Amino acid sequence: MKNKTKNKTSRFTKINGLLWILPAFVFVVGIIYYSIFYTFNLSTLNWNGLDPIPIKVGISNYTKALFSDWIFWKAIKNTIVYFLITFLIQNFLGFIFAAILHTKVKLATLHKVLIFIPTILAPATMAPVFRLLFSPQGMLQNIFNTLHLGITVDWLANPNSALFILMIVAIWEFTGMSFILYYAAMSQIDKEMLEAAHLDGAGNFRTLLSIVLPNCKGTTVSLAMLGIIGALKTFDIPYLITTGGPYHATEFLGTYIYTQGIKQAHLGYAAAISVMLLILAICGAILINRVNKGDAK
Amino acid sequence: MFEIKSLKSKVVLQIILLILTIPYVIPLVQMFLGSIGGTGFLNYKAVWDTGVVPIYFKNSFIISASVILLVYIFSMTAGFAFAKLHIFGKEMFFWVFLVALTLPEVILLSPLFVTFQKMQLFNTFLAVILPIAALQLPFTILLARTFDNGIPNELMEAAKIDGASVFRTFWDIILPLTKPIASSIVVLTLIGSWNEYLLPLVFLQSPNMKTVTLLPQYFQGEFSNDQTKILAAAVLTAIPVIVVYLFLQKNFEKGMSAGALK
Repeated sequence: MKNKTKNKTSRFTKINGLLWILPAFVFVVGIIYYSIFYTFNLSTLNWNGLDPIPIKVGISNYTKALFSDWIFWKAIKNTIVYFLITFLIQNFLGFIFAAILHTKVKLATLHKVLIFIPTILAPATMAPVFRLLFSPQGMLQNIFNTLHLGITVDWLANPNSALFILMIVAIWEFTGMSFILYYAAMSQIDKEMLEAAHLDGAGNFRTLLSIVLPNCKGTTVSLAMLGIIGALKTFDIPYLITTGGPYHATEFLGTYIYTQGIKQAHLGYAAAISVMLLILAICGAILINRVNKGDAK
Repeated sequence: MFEIKSLKSKVVLQIILLILTIPYVIPLVQMFLGSIGGTGFLNYKAVWDTGVVPIYFKNSFIISASVILLVYIFSMTAGFAFAKLHIFGKEMFFWVFLVALTLPEVILLSPLFVTFQKMQLFNTFLAVILPIAALQLPFTILLARTFDNGIPNELMEAAKIDGASVFRTFWDIILPLTKPIASSIVVLTLIGSWNEYLLPLVFLQSPNMKTVTLLPQYFQGEFSNDQTKILAAAVLTAIPVIVVYLFLQKNFEKGMSAGALK
């Protein structure tokens, strides 16, 4: 992100490039920044989108969310739990897959493809599949029945387990991403360093922990950044599989903003939560960037 | 990279890999088995006979192609300018894009909902194409700039001496050299726009304008929750994506990992 490569003075650097970024700039400002400022404005109103004159309410939408809306806090808590657990498991699995597939195993390409396919399929396409899979009519229930385990697969209907099921879905979907990034990072590790470790008598496991993992740090940081922003943006999976339920057990900021803003037409309230979501996303990005730079020194 | 010597550890590793991979296949198996439940493959016929599948595909195709075109042009020109040309306040402009990188799309809903209705854009493809492209651009510009930074200035100087204009330099030198990052940008944008759910859900209301991601919901209404047909529709939606991926496997993997370049 930094402008590390200071170009030597080139005649090209004197040519005004404003015109070249203008289309993209107008586009992004015209849609994204327009929406951000519009949202700021909306967040001070009490408006259903139809009344000709919205009521100005100052910061009361914010205070309402922060001090008297347990669903808002539930959504924040869910986002944090969801991020921490999916981040750990998904990257652990991605790392293990990458390491195993760097050895000479059979059918490596087939395994790669199978792990990566979930990443490219739309959550919207897969949502009905997961609703069935984790229901008493699904395949898991059949397997449990055959094994006479006496387990009923009603986890999506249970407020205590629904969030964990959504995490499983997210891990299923994004392991391919972690895997492919770790796989690429591992290809760039100096072969001699690994050989030296082997000569020093370090086993494969030891090498993996003390050489490969530290060398993949940049990747882990990138994945943390993607993970935080991704968790804050989460919408498709909870909305389509549980619609945030049961009893808001799987509510996320995205689903809550959608229900408040679009479904119930509380535009001002949805906008106030949107502003707070945006602030969280920017803080998350800055935080990770800091951690990364601080460690590099 | 890692040497596994003994036959026993090789076998053990192979088995671990197999066991770890199985959970990733289970949902796909469930999707297929579910889709042939009840009336078997007739589910597919029932889904196809509604006639909406090709329409939704066509709509998704139009939207994705337009988004890719916009994103490709704008990120190539902006990436080039950020890396190689002089811009007053360059860092400031770049930050404008970086902040937009973190924006959750749900924030766009209310503002664009109200604005598009005023501008008569509501329920048109543009209402989906424009925001999707705007959401993709910050990231693809970042990718293009990072890549363009690595192109030696000497190459461009040589062209300058030959009297080439900036545009010619861009066209003859930069565009051919940036093919690798361009293919990553195209793949990323393709996945992002094809899989987009929320914006079409809100902004495309007429039944003949919806996209493939809205197919399951359409069939939930159409077949009053007959799971087998909904899953048959899901399979029909997934197959083309998987086929395209298998053909362009390397491009997909490179495209998805392009973002991790520090």
